[in-house]
Amino acid sequence: MDEALGTPLAGLSLLEAAPDAMIVTDHRGQIVLINAQAERLFGYARTELLGQKVENLVPPRLREQHLHHRDGYQHAPRVRPMGAGLDLYGVRKDGTEFSVEISLSPITIRGERYVSSAIRDITARKRIEKALHDKNIELRNANLAKDRFLAGISHELRTPLNAIIGFTGTLLMKLPGPLTDEQERQLLIVDSSARHLLSLINDILDVAKIESGKVNITREQVVLQDVVHEVSNSLRALAEEKHLRIDVAVPAEPVIANTDRRALQQILLNLANNAIKYTEQGSVAIDMQKACDGHTAIAVRDTGLGIRDEDRVRLFQAFEQLDASSTRRFQGVGLGLHLSQQLATLIGASLDCESTYGRGSTFTLTIPADAA
Amino acid sequence: MSARVLVIEDNAVNRELITYLLRAFGYEVSSETNGACGFANAICGSYDLVLSDILMPDMDGFEFARRFKAAPEVANTPLIAVTALAMTGDREKILQAGFDGYISKPIDPQAFAGQISTFLQDRG
Ligand SMILES: Nc1ncnc2c1ncn2[C@@H]1O[C@H](COP(=O)(O)OP(=O)(O)OP(=O)(O)O)[C@@H](O)[C@H]1O
Ligand SMILES: [Mg+2]
Repeated sequence: MDEALGTPLAGLSLLEAAPDAMIVTDHRGQIVLINAQAERLFGYARTELLGQKVENLVPPRLREQHLHHRDGYQHAPRVRPMGAGLDLYGVRKDGTEFSVEISLSPITIRGERYVSSAIRDITARKRIEKALHDKNIELRNANLAKDRFLAGISHELRTPLNAIIGFTGTLLMKLPGPLTDEQERQLLIVDSSARHLLSLINDILDVAKIESGKVNITREQVVLQDVVHEVSNSLRALAEEKHLRIDVAVPAEPVIANTDRRALQQILLNLANNAIKYTEQGSVAIDMQKACDGHTAIAVRDTGLGIRDEDRVRLFQAFEQLDASSTRRFQGVGLGLHLSQQLATLIGASLDCESTYGRGSTFTLTIPADAA
Repeated sequence: MSARVLVIEDNAVNRELITYLLRAFGYEVSSETNGACGFANAICGSYDLVLSDILMPDMDGFEFARRFKAAPEVANTPLIAVTALAMTGDREKILQAGFDGYISKPIDPQAFAGQISTFLQDRG
């Protein structure tokens, strides 16, 4: 039945060149022309489809709806995708259904109206979309579970710590009675270890919170010198224990930034704490400079171990410690720098490291001009 | 006369700690182990201050606060949460539930007495 080639539509055999399946129907919905891609897509030979109603290619359950839409299109024909927002399906000769996307365009030849449809099998795309959607839901559920888990962990760990820190405190306050010097010394160790444990717990939970996007940044006008002094004062005792000097150099004029005070303080505490921890002798210096372009740099320098070039990439990763051997001399879990960098990003600052192995390191926090 | 404080806390050790600290600073202290008993006691005990944990069996601190603040006998008594719920947002949630103040665990034993006397002074 090659008679279609004899119709006025024969010229449209250039449809063969189209990448999509193409079907042309007349005003009654009868198929007058199809290309080889359409034969392949629907599993029919061309001769089986020519002269048939196009509804034969729509799953039976959707035929009525299709007729309705086709009528509508006859009245307002223009180039457009079919059934915008609807899930469309085609049906093959063997009865299997598949998802399609169809774009329609009206054509008029010798006064006759026809509709040409370009049909694309989107099964693969749908499958990917669905997989993505499922993954999103799974992730959201996992996140909710993670939040509940974190809240539970936080609560459970704090409860016994309350008793440890609490009763150590009552003893140190000598509420039950006097202490010998040695008892007091040992209790101070319990106290500082318990507080250290608390700060580790807080760090781990902080990282988890940042990673699930739960940290709130509250900006306020902060005098940067104040934060630097608070940090150096709170670590002075630690430095003195190791016979290290802490030198602070800040501009005389107050430097004010619009930033999150707690985040800033935590970053500087981590940097200065590391500087003291990883330095055996010499000094730790914190200096602050305001550059002429308006940004402020706070540098924490030490004369300590230094960092090898090849180790630098690992510095800011969670749970990374450059000396991970079981004989390592230092306490910690490898979260300080990771957390600091995350917090720096949150407040729009950046954190960089320069170091000479064996000589010392400098960590610099750069707070941009717009925050200052 | 020393101020009377009611402590509601399900964990025995933490109950002992808070009671001990308060007594050491001269307060008169009673304690209960859940919100339901705490509420019954609070209503008839004429306390100057009530401290409550949040996560407790039977009746938790949220439900306790709701009833407490709805009871005319005690609605004006300061109600303070002492809780290990200390993640971002917990404090706001707790204050919204009707608590007048919030102390997170672990408590700071040195600062605790000062915090308590501030809450007592603030009372309307
Ligand atoms: N100032 C420094 N000098 C030399 N090495 C450093 C310095 N700061 C950090 N490091 C190295 O980088 C690693 C990661 O530091 P980070 O602060 O993240 O973890 P940590 O100090 O081991 O543990 P914590 O989580 O308690 O801070 C450290 O283990 C250390 O090897
Ligand atoms: Mg560290």
